[in-house]
Amino acid sequence: MSDAALDTPSESRSRERFDDRVDINPKITNREAFRIVGRSLGYLARVKGLFAAKVAFSLIALIPGLIAPWTGKILIDQVILKKPFNDAEVPFPPYFQPVVDFLRGMAPMEIMLYLTALFAGLLVVYGRGGLGISLEPGRDSATISEGKISAGGSGMSGLLGAIELLVDIRLNQRLANGFRTLLFRRLSRLPMKTIDDHRIGDSVYRVMYDAPDLPSVCFSFTLAPLFTVIGTLIALYQMGATYSTVAPELIWVSLAMFPIALLVTIPLSAFVRRIQQASRAAGTATTNAIEESMSNLHAVQSLGGMDREAQRVESRSRESFRRFRHVVLTGIGVGFIGGALGGALSIFVMVTVATSVIGGIMTPGDYYALIGLAGTIGGAGVGLGMVWIGVQSEVAAVRRVFFFLDMEVETPATAHERLAVREGVSFENVGLTYPNGHRALANVNLSLNLGELVAFVGPTGAGKTSLAYLIPGFYRPTEGRVRLDGRDIAEIDLDSLRSQVSYVFQEHLLLNESIRGNLKLANPAATEADIRRACDAASATEFIERLPDGLDTRLGQSGDTLSVGQKQRLCIARGLVRDTRILILDEPTAALDPQTENALVNALRQAAEGQLVIVIAHRLSTIRQADRIVFLEEGAIREVGTHDGMMAIPDSAYRRFVELQGGDVGTV
Amino acid sequence: MVIGLIAGYVTITGVDLFTNAVLNGQPIAPLQRLVLLLDPSYVDATALTADQRTTILVRLILYAVAFTLLIRMLADSLGVVYWETWIAQAINQHLRVKMIENAEHLSLRYQSHARTGDAIYRVFQDSRMISNIIATIILDPLEQGAGMLGAFVIIWFFSPVLGTIFTLAFIPIFLAVMWWTPRIQRLSWLSRQSNSDVTSRIQEVAASIRVLKANQAEDLAVARFDRDSRAALDYAYYLRLEIMLLLITMSTIAGATLIGADYLMANWTVLEDPTFLGGVFAFILTFTIWNFGAFQAARENNGELIGKYGFMFTTWVRAIDMAMGLNRAYYLLDLKPDVVEAEGAVPMPTPVAEVRYEGVSFAYDAGVPVLADVNLTARAGRTTAIVGATGAGKSTLMSLLLRLYDPDAGSIRVNGVPLDRFTIDSIRTNIAIALQQNVLFAATVADNIGYAATGVTREQVQHAAEVVCADGFIAEMANGYDTELGERGGKLSTGQRQRLSIARAVVRDTPILILDEPTASLDAETEQQVLANLADWGRERVLFVITHRLSTIRNADQIAFLNDGRITEVGTHDELMARANGDYRRFVAQETQGTAV
Repeated sequence: MSDAALDTPSESRSRERFDDRVDINPKITNREAFRIVGRSLGYLARVKGLFAAKVAFSLIALIPGLIAPWTGKILIDQVILKKPFNDAEVPFPPYFQPVVDFLRGMAPMEIMLYLTALFAGLLVVYGRGGLGISLEPGRDSATISEGKISAGGSGMSGLLGAIELLVDIRLNQRLANGFRTLLFRRLSRLPMKTIDDHRIGDSVYRVMYDAPDLPSVCFSFTLAPLFTVIGTLIALYQMGATYSTVAPELIWVSLAMFPIALLVTIPLSAFVRRIQQASRAAGTATTNAIEESMSNLHAVQSLGGMDREAQRVESRSRESFRRFRHVVLTGIGVGFIGGALGGALSIFVMVTVATSVIGGIMTPGDYYALIGLAGTIGGAGVGLGMVWIGVQSEVAAVRRVFFFLDMEVETPATAHERLAVREGVSFENVGLTYPNGHRALANVNLSLNLGELVAFVGPTGAGKTSLAYLIPGFYRPTEGRVRLDGRDIAEIDLDSLRSQVSYVFQEHLLLNESIRGNLKLANPAATEADIRRACDAASATEFIERLPDGLDTRLGQSGDTLSVGQKQRLCIARGLVRDTRILILDEPTAALDPQTENALVNALRQAAEGQLVIVIAHRLSTIRQADRIVFLEEGAIREVGTHDGMMAIPDSAYRRFVELQGGDVGTV
Repeated sequence: MVIGLIAGYVTITGVDLFTNAVLNGQPIAPLQRLVLLLDPSYVDATALTADQRTTILVRLILYAVAFTLLIRMLADSLGVVYWETWIAQAINQHLRVKMIENAEHLSLRYQSHARTGDAIYRVFQDSRMISNIIATIILDPLEQGAGMLGAFVIIWFFSPVLGTIFTLAFIPIFLAVMWWTPRIQRLSWLSRQSNSDVTSRIQEVAASIRVLKANQAEDLAVARFDRDSRAALDYAYYLRLEIMLLLITMSTIAGATLIGADYLMANWTVLEDPTFLGGVFAFILTFTIWNFGAFQAARENNGELIGKYGFMFTTWVRAIDMAMGLNRAYYLLDLKPDVVEAEGAVPMPTPVAEVRYEGVSFAYDAGVPVLADVNLTARAGRTTAIVGATGAGKSTLMSLLLRLYDPDAGSIRVNGVPLDRFTIDSIRTNIAIALQQNVLFAATVADNIGYAATGVTREQVQHAAEVVCADGFIAEMANGYDTELGERGGKLSTGQRQRLSIARAVVRDTPILILDEPTASLDAETEQQVLANLADWGRERVLFVITHRLSTIRNADQIAFLNDGRITEVGTHDELMARANGDYRRFVAQETQGTAV
């Protein structure tokens, strides 16, 4: 799949006007659409049983179509008009002849009794009409998607319809949820570099809402057309078997509706598609605007941006509604054309049959049999043309999912090895260049051992985080090697490698879980004692105890119920609870007051006795406690040493850095 | 009602002419002859000739086409559907905007407890719901109800027996609906709730994917998603199962009624019984006795009536589902903001000479005081550093100044006037804040800096960027100030994001500026430069800085030391350091020596 799936800026006008971050690439060639459909069909293998059941039900649903025209005819001719069966008139189809023979000679009301019994039987088994459950979907992608995933319907009702509906719902759910879970699994395995690209990172989860379109792509191109065609053939057979001698033109005209409908709908489909896409793009933009302002509510309020946000949502919402009305108008237009075609066909049938009836060639009952058959055939033509219109947006959605499924992911472990670091990490001539050409690290040689507390120090943008990211394999070096106990980490499977490294990020990300759940996320096997120890070390115990539910307090979105400092301490505790040989903390103390910080650094010092603890820090009080300080500047290591050692060198870069910090050299 | 009857009559006349006259060759009624512009022989003959039948057929089709085109297509489709959509949207738009405004003005106290996914879900799902409910519960049933009454009248025209049967059929259908209503309600609620959980789960993973990776919790996340998702799907399934059972019950009752009616009518037709009022209306319809046309017309009318029954009750089921959604929407609309604007509030005066906290106390949750009896005065041209342990209440102190919350006791005065005399908008317009969380919006760098200011020029944006030393790295970005940033600021380092946040506050050019931990992620050199620039820029302004960093604190004109919600010391660095046993002195000692005391 080409990059086109992830927007190129010049692509479309709607793209420039709306910053919808999800691909709404309007261009899907027919060839690509077919390829996507083909690939989608592969997923049917996962739901073979249900799919087979659906096919079987669709076949069974055809049976009433074979009976209804002829019972209808008998009801009118033999019951209401009291005519006897007359072999000189238009014949019944061969398969129905036994029924005719059975009823022959009966009085009208006797026939009616049998017909009523038959109708009652059909009512119980097949019901009246179809079944479909339409609940109101929301306008946002999330709720529409949830509605689609549980969609279901049946061409029957009654006993068979009930079973088919349940089968259909489960089939859609299985298929879509399997697809969605597969996608979810892949997304969680995207490499850090991809996630860091915000264009992808921000839109990742919205793709999840595209997954439920899969069933519809699968069925719109397979079952729906297949059974339309079968239904048409059956109707044609019935017409052919009965009316081919008295009114052959009826068969030809009904058949002609097929190409005519296709000729009208296919060119129209391009137009309808464009309108629909514009509308969907606008809808997505509205969703984005609302989501963004809701998730940044604190910032929006503090900055006095409420009115601006409300206006932004309003204008986008207005635009999306305006476009939706265009879709409605177009729908009316399409419906008008379809209605006109259908109307023309029924008038033709009406005139032909009525003329035949007047001429004594047909009976009034033939009219009711024929109008239904012609309708089936004509409707099929229009229906097939519409398939192409309807399926376009779903193909686009499924394509977005495939795009993410095809993205390069970190290979999950095939065979886990029990890894236990004994020595430490070493960097050999390591360099790192981003895809955009930015050179983050160059020529790094460094050896870090268990038992050390190491500080990575340097100005903003010096490459401290990039260097640390290499250890758990978040980034891969573009030059040189990173070794763990002498082994190139490129050869170690990621899960084993990461089981040895804990990483605490600068951003304090907590999940909508209890505090305990957040800590257990890092180490599901952690005991109560492990959790308490980690909280103590991170100075989190005190505030946790003050919370109403203690460790079981549930956190809001991104842990909003806590202050920044509290979140930071929880994140550190989460790092500690994993109890790995290597612990990396990125700016752990930025939001902590000195007292808390001291307690933490002391805890880290203790932890460092058997572990390698790496701290990325700006604060002198943290840095100076390190066993070794690695001072970086512009992606290269300038100096390595202890605080006192490097301070003793008069013109060292580190010393200049510390002096600027202004907190040292005995201000007290 | 009248429209329903007229439409019903037109349809029935069509059926009458087509069946009895065209297909069966019977004479037509006097009024029909007049409308079709035919001579009297059509009424008087005992049987119509082939030519006469063909003539009626042609005229009937012409009328039908004209009627359909004029009434159905024009009025129904073009006009009604479009305008209905438009009206529904207008209502929806209004509600949606109202809800998001309300959500944004709500106290953060509510927000901090609610899950964002849930809030979004509500705004969307439910605002649509309200406009739909108007269409579903009010407009459609009105329209359908008129048709239903029409169909009922026609049934009675044919036969009181049929009328009674169809009236009685209503009862079991009604009972079925009443029996299922509470079950559907309960499942609808559960289904919505669990869908909301799945939505939140998906968003959460996107937001915290790094943490999941670092903790190898990918599989755990997948498992949780799977669990939530299955629960949601099961509820959706059982909800639909119940609805399906109801629908099938209804349609079976309806179907049985229709089949029974068919049998009765067939019998009457075979016996050529008179219809109930056919004789009275003989001049307009040829339904004096039960004949082919009467049977066909009554049959279609029965189907129509049962269809309307079905529609009414299906609407009811959908309404139940919607009402569940509405419950949630009204919850959001009914929440009252904690901070309300006083009557006759005036704009905050500028320039600001002084900000004074007088005995301010505040608690988020009753019984857990965050600030207690805070007194503090900050003057223009001076920098006030607010220092204290994590959780001492520093950020809360500033939130009160912005009126994100109101103090429980005491007051904050600007130029001597209590804050609650001013309009909330004017307060927030005159205070700029650089937040601890460096939120960036999905927009260009320039738009991010100019986010909260109105009508800023590119020069002003650039100037602000220079003040915070961000000009350099912005210039190096692919499109400079026009580079697009993502929701969470994508590729920028924390330090860079922090500087953009400060620039955003600076560009607003307000008399009061608050910097909340502005320099935590900046290295010392950059920090010094930024602070020097800010001091220079802020000569006429009241400047608050919340910080832990000593290098920042030392340069402040006054330091307020906050301990457990109380200001224990206020003074300059030198003054406070001179206090032998002072809190601040102990704080500095810890900071510089890095050892526990």
